[in-house]
Amino acid sequence: MKLKPEISDKEMITVNGVSKTYLGGKFTAVDNVSLDIIEGEIVAFVGPSGCGKTTVMRMVAGLETPTTGDILVNGHEVQGPGPDRGMIFQAYTSFPWLTSRQNVEYGMKILGIPAAERRERGQKLLEEVHLGPAADKYPSELSGGMKQRVAIARTLAQNPEVLLMDEPFGALDAQVRWEMQEMMVQIMDVEKKTVILVTHDIQEAIYLADRIVFYTRTPGRIKHDVYLDFKKGQRFTSKEDLLSQSGYLEVEKQMFAWMREEIQLQAT
Amino acid sequence: MSDTSIQSAAEASNRVRRKPKKLQLLTTLSGRQTMILGLIGMGAFFGLWEIAHLMTAEEAKRFLPSPISVVQALTALIQEKNFMADVGISAYRIFGSFFIACVIAVPLGILMGCFAPIRALINPVISGARYLPAASFIPLLLVWFGPTDSQKMALLILGVVFFLIALILDNTEAVATELVEAAQTMGASRWEIMVNVVGRAASPAIVDSMRNMIAVAYTYLVIAEIVAAQDGIGAVMMRAGRFLKVDVIMAGILAIGIMGVLTDIVFRAAAYYAFPWNRKRQG
Repeated sequence: MKLKPEISDKEMITVNGVSKTYLGGKFTAVDNVSLDIIEGEIVAFVGPSGCGKTTVMRMVAGLETPTTGDILVNGHEVQGPGPDRGMIFQAYTSFPWLTSRQNVEYGMKILGIPAAERRERGQKLLEEVHLGPAADKYPSELSGGMKQRVAIARTLAQNPEVLLMDEPFGALDAQVRWEMQEMMVQIMDVEKKTVILVTHDIQEAIYLADRIVFYTRTPGRIKHDVYLDFKKGQRFTSKEDLLSQSGYLEVEKQMFAWMREEIQLQAT
Repeated sequence: MSDTSIQSAAEASNRVRRKPKKLQLLTTLSGRQTMILGLIGMGAFFGLWEIAHLMTAEEAKRFLPSPISVVQALTALIQEKNFMADVGISAYRIFGSFFIACVIAVPLGILMGCFAPIRALINPVISGARYLPAASFIPLLLVWFGPTDSQKMALLILGVVFFLIALILDNTEAVATELVEAAQTMGASRWEIMVNVVGRAASPAIVDSMRNMIAVAYTYLVIAEIVAAQDGIGAVMMRAGRFLKVDVIMAGILAIGIMGVLTDIVFRAAAYYAFPWNRKRQG
């Protein structure tokens, strides 16, 4: 277990009264969401399926535009996607025609980083995600977890200020997901990013996040916005350490109760 | 009652296990098995042909020559009639016109696949044009170009280009949205994404579309070469037809078939070596 890195007072992400409607206003996916995320925080967006948590993240990424309201990242209004906000998708997005190494170097190439520097930082990141021996393999030769590690390294290689993760481990089996979660804690200790993690896995959210933003079902509003105080400012490199913290079970029970409220609302 | 039905179900499954079916779903064959079955299939085809030839009445036999006499006709054509020059001209027409069709269709298909307004602008014309029989353009092309090589190549281009655009549009649209979005979040430009993400991702499927469409180009070759043509495989076949030389006509068909198979092999090999990352999926 380790202390989470010093968190500054700097607001990294500001979401200001953001709504998103589709079908010319007939369907509201996100309804008046506001939140501030401080530099270095790991924030999990949790909620039932279709609650708009992914939509909020995609608006931060610039892949969708808010119908009303605005979003600031590091003081600049979000106008579209950009390399200051790295995104990791649930689907495998490592480019199949590039080897692991070429994938990791791709993002740096876009930024115009010289070849020697690309090579050096690429190698470092491949080792950080334990892909050193698979550096020259194509994604078709890699397992799902390894493909996702390529995507993570490629995103980190651009050194973004913000890391947006959209159900990043959702397609992986339970054991690989667990390995990836522990790896993320280690990586965040080195890379120190502001992170938004969208997930419907309550345990994953509690394990990885410093703070949980819980969304209501359609239309998506913030139901609860809580800091995980029981972690006492720590992040845990092993999941057992998290589970043995006093207060863990209460938090998990609370999350399941919130989830149940939302799911039952849908059924009635 | 229920006991017996369970028993009989078990028996039934035992029976299935004892006698494995020859045609199971989702099985794969070794390379050797595939080759042997392929040879058996070809042997059966030529065997049936030979039998049909033997059963034909003696005076009609020249209308259904034996496979061997067709091969003999083909070698005689090559040795005595400079047939390879005609093959060369036909190959030039096919590959030249197909190259031009690709130069038009690949960029257009990818552009249409990437940008909705371009797709909306061009797609209705392309979709409609696919239904026009290319042969119906022959009179028009004869007026425009005369009985030239250009006229024949224009026909071959018209025959494939609209289908090729539609196929490449499909190939481009089939590229996963997430690949494009991942590139966008990395700050890649539209041009970079179109060429190095969508284009690269779709390239194996595009080569596959080309391989399928050049086969269609071959089907137009004879149509192009029977009207106002002095040279090429189709013209040789037309002349042979006038003298009822069925063995020569069939030798022409055989020559086109051989060229087609070779073209297919070249395309497959090119795809294999050009896309090492895609090999697993090709199996």
